[in-house]
Amino acid sequence: MLLVSHTAVIITVAYSIAVILGSAISFAIFRSTSRPLEEDRSGIWSRREATWLVIMILTLFALLLGTIFYVPYGETAGPRGQVVRVVGVQYAWAVDAPQPIVTGRPVAFLARSRDVAHGFGVYNPSGTLIFQAQVVADHEQKIVHTFTDPGTYTVHCLEFCGAGHHLMSTTFEVKAP
Amino acid sequence: MIDERARAIARQLTIRYIVWSSIILAASGLLGVVLRWSQSVPQARVGDNFWYAMMTAHGLGAFVGWGAFAVMGLAWWVLAGIGFPVRGFGLAMARLTWWLMVFGVLGVIITTIFMGFAASWVFLYPLPFYGSGNWGDWATGLFSFSVLLAGLAIVTWCFGILHTVMNREALQSVSGSIVKRLGLSFGWGFLMPRTFAAKKPVPYPVIPLAVIGLDMIIATLPLAGLLVWQIFQSMGIVGSANDLLAKNILWWFGHPVVYLLLFPAVAVYYWLIPRYAGRDLVAGHVIAVAWTVAVIANVFVWAHHLYLDYPSGTAQAQINTAMQPITFALVLPSALSLYSLGFTIYRSRFRWTPASTALFFGLVGWLLAGLSGIVNATIALDVAVHNTLWIVGHFHHMAMLNIGLLIFGAIYALLPELSGKALYSERMAWIHVWITFVVGMIFFGLWLVQGLDGAPRRWSVLPSNYDTLTRISLPFVFILAAAQALFFWNVMQTLRGKGGVATFDERGIPEPSKVKQESSVHNIEAAVMIVALVLAFTFAVGGYLVGREAGSDGGNTPTTTAETGGDGTAAITGDAEAGAEVFASSSCGNCHTLEAAGATGNLGPSFDEKQPSVALVIDRVTNGLNGMPAYPQLDEQQIADVAAYVQESTQK
Repeated sequence: MLLVSHTAVIITVAYSIAVILGSAISFAIFRSTSRPLEEDRSGIWSRREATWLVIMILTLFALLLGTIFYVPYGETAGPRGQVVRVVGVQYAWAVDAPQPIVTGRPVAFLARSRDVAHGFGVYNPSGTLIFQAQVVADHEQKIVHTFTDPGTYTVHCLEFCGAGHHLMSTTFEVKAP
Repeated sequence: MIDERARAIARQLTIRYIVWSSIILAASGLLGVVLRWSQSVPQARVGDNFWYAMMTAHGLGAFVGWGAFAVMGLAWWVLAGIGFPVRGFGLAMARLTWWLMVFGVLGVIITTIFMGFAASWVFLYPLPFYGSGNWGDWATGLFSFSVLLAGLAIVTWCFGILHTVMNREALQSVSGSIVKRLGLSFGWGFLMPRTFAAKKPVPYPVIPLAVIGLDMIIATLPLAGLLVWQIFQSMGIVGSANDLLAKNILWWFGHPVVYLLLFPAVAVYYWLIPRYAGRDLVAGHVIAVAWTVAVIANVFVWAHHLYLDYPSGTAQAQINTAMQPITFALVLPSALSLYSLGFTIYRSRFRWTPASTALFFGLVGWLLAGLSGIVNATIALDVAVHNTLWIVGHFHHMAMLNIGLLIFGAIYALLPELSGKALYSERMAWIHVWITFVVGMIFFGLWLVQGLDGAPRRWSVLPSNYDTLTRISLPFVFILAAAQALFFWNVMQTLRGKGGVATFDERGIPEPSKVKQESSVHNIEAAVMIVALVLAFTFAVGGYLVGREAGSDGGNTPTTTAETGGDGTAAITGDAEAGAEVFASSSCGNCHTLEAAGATGNLGPSFDEKQPSVALVIDRVTNGLNGMPAYPQLDEQQIADVAAYVQESTQK
């Protein structure tokens, strides 16, 4: 049983449908060569390519409008927010929460790196990747997230940072308020 | 059409590029097998830094040294085939490209495999200068120089291509103006026939080549600047660069270089698919619109690799958001090309040979890779898959099942006309093409699944919950690798003339070898080849592992120094000398000051001031406290060692 995030479920469903559709079209093209056409319809097909262009532009535009409002940029934790400082070094994370992190209130993670680029990836207690962001040296990266479930969360490094990259993990606790 | 002498020049160029890129495929492909093997089987696990060094070599080798190099070579023969001879300045550039590329790839292999440089193929600045003792600045300098050579190879190739496609005679251009000839090669004659006047329309394969020829010059020059900076920094001449700027420069190159594989590949599709279908490419003028979009969009999409970089006080978030629609625009040339190529095949008298089947599978691979690419291009979806194995699945679909199958198909289709010799075994080619497509689909598909499950990318050892699928994928890796052995054998035998003299049908499609052979001979040969290679490879890795075990046993010398704590129950004694290595490899000095180790970190307490006891160090490293993480990756002995080292160093 795979435990994955909502976004991963959306991707899985959309990609599966697209792949099945694409495979069906590919197979149809393959089969069509066993009954070749006598007359030449290239002219019509060429002219219809403009229609295909319009369909593609509209499809991509719909996808753009449907997703662009879900970017993780510019979020704030608000006055009730909790602030957690995160520091990444080769090859460890320091997650420094002055008070216990509680569910239901937004948490602003202020992440920094002391050396190279790292990726702050947070997995929930059942091992699902719930959010991530890149942490570059000399810049503060703010990631806002509101936890819904208490438990032990795991941090993995999600940007390659050297020979100990896969060891760069830690955990932190989230409690019920 | 062009004369025989010009054809001979292009023929020689293409063969040289193809032979050397195939050798690089063999080397980097084997590295790929070892990488997955090491991830799957604990007993076969290689050292971590060596794993990442192989990953670096595999990435650059397979992507640039094989994929790009091979399609760059095919481009010369495509151009000759549609009446564009490579000559003069263009020919000089084409020859220089070959030398730069071969030496560049050689340098990458030496600096990674033998000098331990392991910062991955993107060598994300400033990682090349943070080797944790695994590689030094001079390895970084030499690696940067090698990549610079490969980068210059790309630039010289682009100059060669632009010189060749702007040939006035071949374009049948009315005007001699450079701008008008460049516009013609971009296909603008379809859109503005009066301004870009020619006596006949430009052949379609010219368009993607001209586009990438211009774009890769724009894309590569800033990277060359970064590489020169890295070389100077490794020599101590300049200081550090800005990290975020360096990351933007890397991806300014890193995205278009993907299209250095795709666009020449499209030129090959445009040229060969119509030949097998027996009709002209079905394409409207609108395809020129899509390629014009590509010229501009291609160099303005780099930030989609930085979707998850949005640090406070920078404009990165705005740049990223602007690049989602531009990235979407870049879908259009692919969508229109697939439409054109699909309708060219649809209900045609398509001749199904191993070559044309590989090309067809390549189109299917293109579609699959494009669809997973749209997911990556969408910021809200990328959050779930960024830097997971999904990305690895995506670009292996792209590199192996689109570009790779195109290269195999083109070689099967063109080797007879390039060498004058018939393909040695059509049957071997059939087996190779089918296995590569079917097994590749399964193997790379498993990466997509693991990625959706959150499996991180570029981990030499994955978290244990991903082990099941990793192990399931292993047999597919071996079958995929073994199938490639058939390709190498077939090409070698063809070049040795074992298939006899090449003959062609009325469309120019090579006919099967006329040399009468028992088909069972081919089958036995194929089986022997595969078994021999798998055995040799198994023994080689087995020998390496045995040697490694023996080596590490021999290196252990019993030592006793500090006692671990005063409770009298501790049995493990720490070795301060070994502890020094643990201290360095775990980067304790990033946060703590310890004069003896030259460490000046100030995030945690200074050891020189606090002089912690052995027991305290063991407790903190084992259990962590506040900002100090626990280190479960260190075993008890290593923790005792590092504690002994800290105590010994601070109490002098």
